[in-house]
Amino acid sequence: MIIRSLVLRHGRLALPRSTTPFRASQWRRCLATEAPASQIESSPQPPPSLDNASRDDSSKDPTIAQWNFFQHQKAHTSSLGGVPEPHYKPFMLLANPPRPQDITLELLLASQSHLGHATSLWNPANAKYIFGIRGDHDPIHIISLDVTAAHLRRACKVVQGVAAKGGLILFVGTRRDQARCVVRAAELARGCHLFDKWTPGTLTNGQQILGRCKKKAVNEVDEEVVGFEPQLKYSSAVKPDLVVCLNPLENYTLLHECGIHNIPTIGIIDTDANPTWVTYPIPANDDSLRCVQVIAGALGRAGEEGQAQRLARAQAGHVDYAATHGLEMPTKDEFDAAKRAQRGISEHDEDAEEDELLFEAQPDPADEDDVFAKPSSNVLAKTEDGISAKTEDEPRSTQISDAASEVQASAQNEAAIDGLTDVEAEDEQFGTLAAEDMELMSAKREENADVASGPSAPKTGSE
Amino acid sequence: MGRYNLSAQRVHKHASQLLEANRISAPPPWYDTIATFPPSAILVRPIFQRPTIRKATRKPSKLFSPVKLGYEEDRLRWEYFNDHPWELARPRVLLENDGRDHEKWDWSHALCQPETREVGEAGVNAWMRMQQRSQASRPLNGEAVVQRQMWLMRHENMSEAKAYDAARKELYRARHLQETEQRVAKEEAMHYGAYFGKSPLEVGMQLEDAQWENWKAWAEKETTALKALQGSAYTGMEVDSALDTPEVAEEEVQELAGDVPGSRAGQSARGGVAVHP
Repeated sequence: MIIRSLVLRHGRLALPRSTTPFRASQWRRCLATEAPASQIESSPQPPPSLDNASRDDSSKDPTIAQWNFFQHQKAHTSSLGGVPEPHYKPFMLLANPPRPQDITLELLLASQSHLGHATSLWNPANAKYIFGIRGDHDPIHIISLDVTAAHLRRACKVVQGVAAKGGLILFVGTRRDQARCVVRAAELARGCHLFDKWTPGTLTNGQQILGRCKKKAVNEVDEEVVGFEPQLKYSSAVKPDLVVCLNPLENYTLLHECGIHNIPTIGIIDTDANPTWVTYPIPANDDSLRCVQVIAGALGRAGEEGQAQRLARAQAGHVDYAATHGLEMPTKDEFDAAKRAQRGISEHDEDAEEDELLFEAQPDPADEDDVFAKPSSNVLAKTEDGISAKTEDEPRSTQISDAASEVQASAQNEAAIDGLTDVEAEDEQFGTLAAEDMELMSAKREENADVASGPSAPKTGSE
Repeated sequence: MGRYNLSAQRVHKHASQLLEANRISAPPPWYDTIATFPPSAILVRPIFQRPTIRKATRKPSKLFSPVKLGYEEDRLRWEYFNDHPWELARPRVLLENDGRDHEKWDWSHALCQPETREVGEAGVNAWMRMQQRSQASRPLNGEAVVQRQMWLMRHENMSEAKAYDAARKELYRARHLQETEQRVAKEEAMHYGAYFGKSPLEVGMQLEDAQWENWKAWAEKETTALKALQGSAYTGMEVDSALDTPEVAEEEVQELAGDVPGSRAGQSARGGVAVHP
């Protein structure tokens, strides 16, 4: 075993002498690759402080002394040694994923996205994406890099646009090592992720499978709005508006359900996959984790860009997409019950007067295209985490606590009486409706069409 | 179409129909985006890219299948790896950093520069600079030989055989230098106290010895079984067993005179051979 000890090398000290007296053994212990057995102390004492100003304090607090020592060591030794050439660091694809602008043919080549499967296993439907065949004994198909880049950029545009219009994006990657990049992409795009098996029926039988997941209503700047709990309690989870699937070959059921529910999909299509399963195929190598991370990273970045656009516009007061949640404004009683429940949970001291003001500040749904309440800075108590109902990370989270169960039960009865049951609320977009409801819907749609033509005016009462 | 489910491609059309029929109150969030960036055409026949249209020998269904890619270097690679089959056993790193390796490779200078005439420290530094320049982050393998050969053929107008000879000899020189460096480095390390594990030859000998012992045990068993069979078949004198080693009669061995190295008598040959009178 070769033991190197920087300090003991004759003629040159690796570190400058410090003003305070110290034991050389401590420096040696920190720098030697292999600490000599004779020098290891049984009870390590805190190293002396090198910051003369706080010498007295550091002698009492070993943490400060250690911090000062670490900073000094870093300042003096970080310039030593060689500088490695820029090289591929796998964690950077998660820490700093490439943006859509950074997609180049060289990046896709280095990520092995051009490597298709054996020629005998191909699906002739994606013949247009294949550049050629390479190999003598085990020939494989080579996917065209320019085709991959074009399709990936198109998919990024779609993700950005959907995020900018308030859509919920679901990232799915069920292979073993795809979990991290799937979660990262969903984080960036403020969407949902799935890295376990897709339960068949999650969309078609959503009320059963996802009926108990946590739901909340948010306004256009992603702040939580109270009062909708009775309506949300028994509805199934919000369906995604776009699904990105990193391994469509293993998720046929998911893609089929998306087709049934008219949800557009994006998927990585290898040479043996079926391109008709997804709306936007990205021809690339789905077996290379590096390639999948590059694609997921680029799509996540596009979603991040779209979300930033949406929030910037919302802060300025422009909401140019129509609400499709099907919720109605809560009644005064529902709102009071919700505020009381919130106060009970978060122990806020709010007066009843403030509640009254708050309720009046919320505009009438019929007058606005957007049902969500606008933020009023002086009165509304902002919730701590601004994650929207549409951006639930775990669709299978536990149900929200029933603090005011009796109030909610009464609200449910009201809802039943109104004729707008939970099933109808869920299937509003694609199910059958009663005649009176259809009139209501058409009236609302006319209003939306009128108001969507121009930016919505902020209510004066709230400010 | 028959076996294709194209509902994923008809998402926007479906939403438009629902809107028109007032089944949904508002367009979904993706409606405008998908109208702006529609999906590309699928199930389309690829571009015809066969080199020449021969006299209808190819079936029409096969005309549009993907073509086999071929490069000039393929023939050179075939030649090189036929001549040097063990080069295929050398491990090759397929990981690329940024996909722009070709920008860093310059095949104009040789795989290994010729030796410099300078001596002393200046010579050593010059040699090291040349080494660095010639390496230039290029690999040192069969691919390097082929690329160097291609460069020589293209830019120096060498014939294929001449360029091949030049390139492979550069590789031999570079490998020779590399192996010398490694050998010297190992010796230096051992001088400073490093120790290494078994070399491949030692490991091979160890495995062979183990197999030899296995065989010996098997052979003993087989021989005893055979003798038993023979013994049961015939009656009579016992044949000497092949396992018995010939005993050396002790009186036949003459003890040699005590030989001391460095004495006048000198040291006689040692060995296992018994000297018979």
